Amino acid sequence: MRLELRDIRHVYSPGTPFEVKALRGVSLTVEPDEVLGILGGTGSGKSTLVQHMNLLLEPADGTVLVDGVDAARLKKSELRRRVGLVFQFPEAALFAPTVWEDVAFAPRRLGLEESEIGDRVRESLALVDAEDLKDRSPFGLSGGEQRRAAIAGVLAMRPEVLVLDEPTSGLDPASRQKLLRLIQTLRDTGTSVVLVSHDTDEMAEVADRICILEKGEIRAIGPPADVFYANPDFAPATVSTVAALGDDGHGIGRPVRFGETLRALAGLIEG
Amino acid sequence: MGATRSFGQFYPVSSPLHALDPRAKILATALLLLGLFFVGSAAGLGLVAAAVAVLVAVSRVPPLTFLRLLRPVVFIVALTVLFQVLFSREGETLFAWGILEIHDGGVRLGLFLGLRILLLVSVAALLTATTAPLALADGLEDLLSPLKKVRFPSHEVAMMMTIALRFIPTLHEESQKITKAQAARGADFSEGGPLSRIRATIPILIPLTVGAFRRADELAEAMESRGYRGGEGRTRYREPRFRRRDAVFLIATVLVLAGAALL
Repeated sequence: MRLELRDIRHVYSPGTPFEVKALRGVSLTVEPDEVLGILGGTGSGKSTLVQHMNLLLEPADGTVLVDGVDAARLKKSELRRRVGLVFQFPEAALFAPTVWEDVAFAPRRLGLEESEIGDRVRESLALVDAEDLKDRSPFGLSGGEQRRAAIAGVLAMRPEVLVLDEPTSGLDPASRQKLLRLIQTLRDTGTSVVLVSHDTDEMAEVADRICILEKGEIRAIGPPADVFYANPDFAPATVSTVAALGDDGHGIGRPVRFGETLRALAGLIEG
Repeated sequence: MGATRSFGQFYPVSSPLHALDPRAKILATALLLLGLFFVGSAAGLGLVAAAVAVLVAVSRVPPLTFLRLLRPVVFIVALTVLFQVLFSREGETLFAWGILEIHDGGVRLGLFLGLRILLLVSVAALLTATTAPLALADGLEDLLSPLKKVRFPSHEVAMMMTIALRFIPTLHEESQKITKAQAARGADFSEGGPLSRIRATIPILIPLTVGAFRRADELAEAMESRGYRGGEGRTRYREPRFRRRDAVFLIATVLVLAGAALL
């Protein structure tokens, strides 16, 4: 699915002294089967932006297009199924007596058959590697387990685009790695992913394109190498290291991912 | 964000009313709330209404904003008036149609009770709009402190009140976040009959409650680790002072009430 935002503007508390222009005309496209990374400091409008992707927030101006169709004309339930949104700290919305029931909430709301619900819950729990948690109470789980259960709750809708707002914040390194692998698996099986994060290093590993948001406007958007090498303040450790070698033609190109960078550096040392 | 004004919310401007000793304001409010029940005439209510209007003007809370604070009770007031108008059989018949009869006594009583409720709420809203939550809790603690002799935990009660007031906006924000998260999973809070609407709030209420308990736990730990042990020997950053203007304000309140009760 192709999700397109056209000139989205959003104003909080318009017409009051508390007025904040959170988005000042943002246009971008989430292409099918890609991981789009959205970077930006706090208050840059990242979270406001992603809430427009399934119209939980309605833009003051601008349109959201789903495969070319104005999203405002789609049924809300259909839009929310096709564009799955996982909020920051999604575990705060766990509520059911068991993980199984919690993950089944969304498919139930879709009015699916009981057998289909079961299939989807099993499938989602398997994706986040949490099948063994299905009978546990969500409130007795560790933070990382809760996070996985909450993400499964959105995956159970089988969204065509999955939007993850800071999914790794507060997770331990092992859980982070698992989550990044999940993002790649989803992309490889045909789900587009929008990943919002502060962590440029993890972004460098999974994103196919990067968008940097600043004060409600797009500062840069494009392939990771272009964006990172042109915006050193958002560059991951790999890019900073290569940039520190000087761009005077060591001839190692512009590697971004850790593996690429290691190979490039190894080549430099051998040569 | 955070611009929604609701009943009980502090309106942070500086005005003579804001500057009064919170104890004087709490006492005056208590007097007015009780006294209003002794006001039996329309003229009396009118006098209190005029006094409240003057206070709103002095408080520098914009009148429209103030009226918005009263919005939650409009329904109750309307219901009260409607009940009296429809079911009271006092006085002359103004209108009759089938079993529907409207008497002038009912209309008068309805308006009287409606105005009284509005005034009660206005007085309470004035107190909270012009007194910061902390000042309010401190004032209450002082006023209740004589009860310490009979082992009434006035400091603890005031602390609980402070904490409760402090966390209203936090919980409000939290509930909005959870509502959105469940909406993203297909929850719909506007469809179906009353029963299914109540059921629809369960996915919000449960995480909200769990979160409140977690927060309470964290707060208690943070307070203890900063040496909080309760009221004994505790001092305050701001000590309220009862000045002459506070006494004048209280005396004026009593005079207005006495006048209104006699009218």
